[in-house]
Amino acid sequence: MNLHKISLDDVDHKDERFRFSYHFDLDMFLLSIKKIGLANPLAVTKRSGRFILVTGWKRFFACRELSLSPLPVVVLDEEDDLRAFLFSLYENLTHRDFDLLEKAEILHKLNRYIHNERQIVKEYLPLLRIPATLSYLDLYIKISRLEARWKRVIYDKKMSLPSVELLMEFDAEERELLLSLLLPLGQNKQRQILEDLMQISKREAISPGEILNSQRIRSVVQSEKLSPLQKAEEVRSLLKKERYPILSGMKESFDTSLKKARLSKEVKVEPSSFFEDGEFSVSFNLNDEREFRKRLVKLQKLVSDKDFFSLFKRIPDG
Amino acid sequence: MDETLFSPQKIFVTKDSESFPLTHRILKNLSQLPVEYIQAPHDIIEEVKISRDPIGEGKKYLLITHQRGQYVKPCPCTPHYIGCNYFIINADLNCPLDCSYCILQMYLDNPLITVHVNTERMWKQLDDFLHTRRGRFLRIGTGELGDSLALDPITGRSTELVSYFSTRSHALFELKTKTINIKNILKLKPSDNVVIAWSINSHQVALTEEPGAPDVKSRLEAARIVSRSGFRVAFHFDPLIRYQGWEQGYAEVIEELMACIDRKKIAWMSLGSLRFPPSLKAVIQKRFPQTKIMDEEFIRGRDGKLRYPKPLRLWLYERIVGFLKKAGGENIPLYFCMESQDVWKEILKKTTSGKREVERLLTLPLVDR
Repeated sequence: MNLHKISLDDVDHKDERFRFSYHFDLDMFLLSIKKIGLANPLAVTKRSGRFILVTGWKRFFACRELSLSPLPVVVLDEEDDLRAFLFSLYENLTHRDFDLLEKAEILHKLNRYIHNERQIVKEYLPLLRIPATLSYLDLYIKISRLEARWKRVIYDKKMSLPSVELLMEFDAEERELLLSLLLPLGQNKQRQILEDLMQISKREAISPGEILNSQRIRSVVQSEKLSPLQKAEEVRSLLKKERYPILSGMKESFDTSLKKARLSKEVKVEPSSFFEDGEFSVSFNLNDEREFRKRLVKLQKLVSDKDFFSLFKRIPDG
Repeated sequence: MDETLFSPQKIFVTKDSESFPLTHRILKNLSQLPVEYIQAPHDIIEEVKISRDPIGEGKKYLLITHQRGQYVKPCPCTPHYIGCNYFIINADLNCPLDCSYCILQMYLDNPLITVHVNTERMWKQLDDFLHTRRGRFLRIGTGELGDSLALDPITGRSTELVSYFSTRSHALFELKTKTINIKNILKLKPSDNVVIAWSINSHQVALTEEPGAPDVKSRLEAARIVSRSGFRVAFHFDPLIRYQGWEQGYAEVIEELMACIDRKKIAWMSLGSLRFPPSLKAVIQKRFPQTKIMDEEFIRGRDGKLRYPKPLRLWLYERIVGFLKKAGGENIPLYFCMESQDVWKEILKKTTSGKREVERLLTLPLVDR
C-alpha cells in the first residue's frame, strides 16, 4: 500500500466492480471536507492502467462536487478482484453498519466472485448480520436486481426487509401501480397494504393488478379531492375490509350500536382486542367531583338502554 | 394394511450412541442405507439449516443421538388459554410426514428426524417423574414433537413404552399418530391406561394439507383394528380448518368415525382450530405455496398466535360438536386444545377453572362410564 496524490480525473469512477453503496446523502461529507479537508485517503487499485475506486465512494463524490483535486489515495497493490472487494468490505465493516441495499449489493458481488453459495452463506451472511441460509442469500440477490427507482424508494422510505420481500412478489407493472400508494405511508402500513393485497389476490384467484385496477380502487386513486396520503389510507382501509370481513363486520356492528346508544363524548366503551375476550371496558374522563357525579348519572341511565346492551350481544355466526 | 416405513437418504450416528441397543435395532431395520458416524450432531444440523428448505431437507436424514436434556417435560401449551396438564416425552424429534400447518416447522432448532437412543436415561427420568407425582392421575404422551408411531417400524419404541406404562396405572399414556403403523401395538396386551390416538381431519384437508400421511379412511381403519384388539383409542380434530365445504367435510368424517369405532372404546376427543405463531406464516407460504389455509381471516390471540376470530371458532366448534352428538358421541369426553374459558363455557357448557380440572375430566375411569 502506497500513499499517493492523484488527480480526480484519473479515477475511473464508472468502473463499479468494488462499489456497494449507491444511496447516500453527501451533506455531512461536504461539510466535513469543507471544514477539515479530506481526513482519510481513498483506496484505489490499478486495472488496465486506470485507477479504480475500492473504498471512499462518498468521499470521492463529495470531493468532485467541491472540485477538490488532486486527492490523497492509497494505491492497493492487489490484482485479485475478490481480495480488493474484501478490502473494501472489511474496511467499511470496521466503522459502520450496512443498510439493506448495501447488503444486497455486497452479496450480489460476492456471488460473482465466489462460485460456492454455501461458502458465502457460512462466511459472509453472519458478518452482515443475516441469518445464514441459502434462502436469505437468494432473497438479497433478488433485491440487488430490483429496478433502480424501487431501490431509491426502499432507501428513502427505509422499507423493511419483510416489506421488500413482499414487494418482489408483485410484477413490475403491479409495482408501478403500488408506488403512489406506498410512498406516503410508513413501514407498517406499507406492509399491511402489500400483505392484504397479496392475500386477497390468492384467496380470490385474481391478480393483484386486477384488484388495483378495479373500479373501487381506481376511483380512490384517481380522486381529485384526496391527497396522496388520504388516497393511500383509503385504499389501505378498503383492502383491510376485504381481507378481514368478519372482523370488519364486528367492528362496524359495534360502532353502529355505539352510535345508537348516543353516549356522551366523555364515556368510552371499548371491546377487547379483536373481540377475543367477551370483556368490554367502559371508561370516562373527569376533572372534578361534579363531573364524576354527572358521569355516574349518565351511566346509570344506560342500564335501561336497550341499544347500549346490544353492544354486548354475541356476534352472529358466519 | 401396509405400514409406512420411514426410509431416509442417510443415517447419521453420533459416536457416543453407537453401542446402544436401540441404535443396533434401527441400523438392522434400515441395513440398506448409508451410515455416517459423527462426533457431534452440530455440524450436520448446521449444514442442513443452511439449505433452501431446511425442513424438507431435514426429513431426508435420520440422526441417532443422545437426549442430553430432559426426556419428560410439561406440554408447553400456550399462555392465556386453558391447558390440559399434559406431559410429553421427547423421545423422537421431528416427523417424516409433511403437514402444511405443522408447528414443528419453526419450533425445533434441529430439522433432522432425530431418535434419542439413551433410553436408560428416559426410564430413569420417567421413574423419578412418576414417583414425585404419585397419588395424582396424570396424562403423558410422545406425540408432541413428532408423530408417536411414524418411526415405530424402525425403532419399536411403542412396545417398550406401552409395556412400561401398563404397570404404572396412575399415568394415562397416549400415543398420538396420523400413521397406520400399528403392527407393534397389535402384538401388545391392551391396558386401560394406554390410549392410542389419531389426529383426524376431513378427507379434503388430509388430502391437501397432510402430504405424506395416510388417508383418513386408512387411519380410521387402523383405529378400528386397534380398538377391536382391546386398546382404548382417542381422536384429535386438530387443527380444524375452515375451507369451502368444511361443514360437509367434517360431518362426513365424524359419521364415518362413529360408524366404525365402538364409542365405549373412545377415551376422548379434542378439538382445536388452526392456530400458529406469526413467524410460521411465512414458512407455510414458502413451503406450501398452493395451500389455501392462509386465505382465511386471522386475529392475533391473547397468546400472540394467529387464530380465527372468535365467532368463526365458535361456529366451527358448535357445528363439530353438533355432528358428534348427532352421530351418537354425546358422552365422549371432549376437550379443547388451547382455547379460552368462554369457548369452553359457550360450546361445552362447562366452566373450567383451569388445567387441573381438564386433567380430572380426561382421566376419569372410562370403563364404568
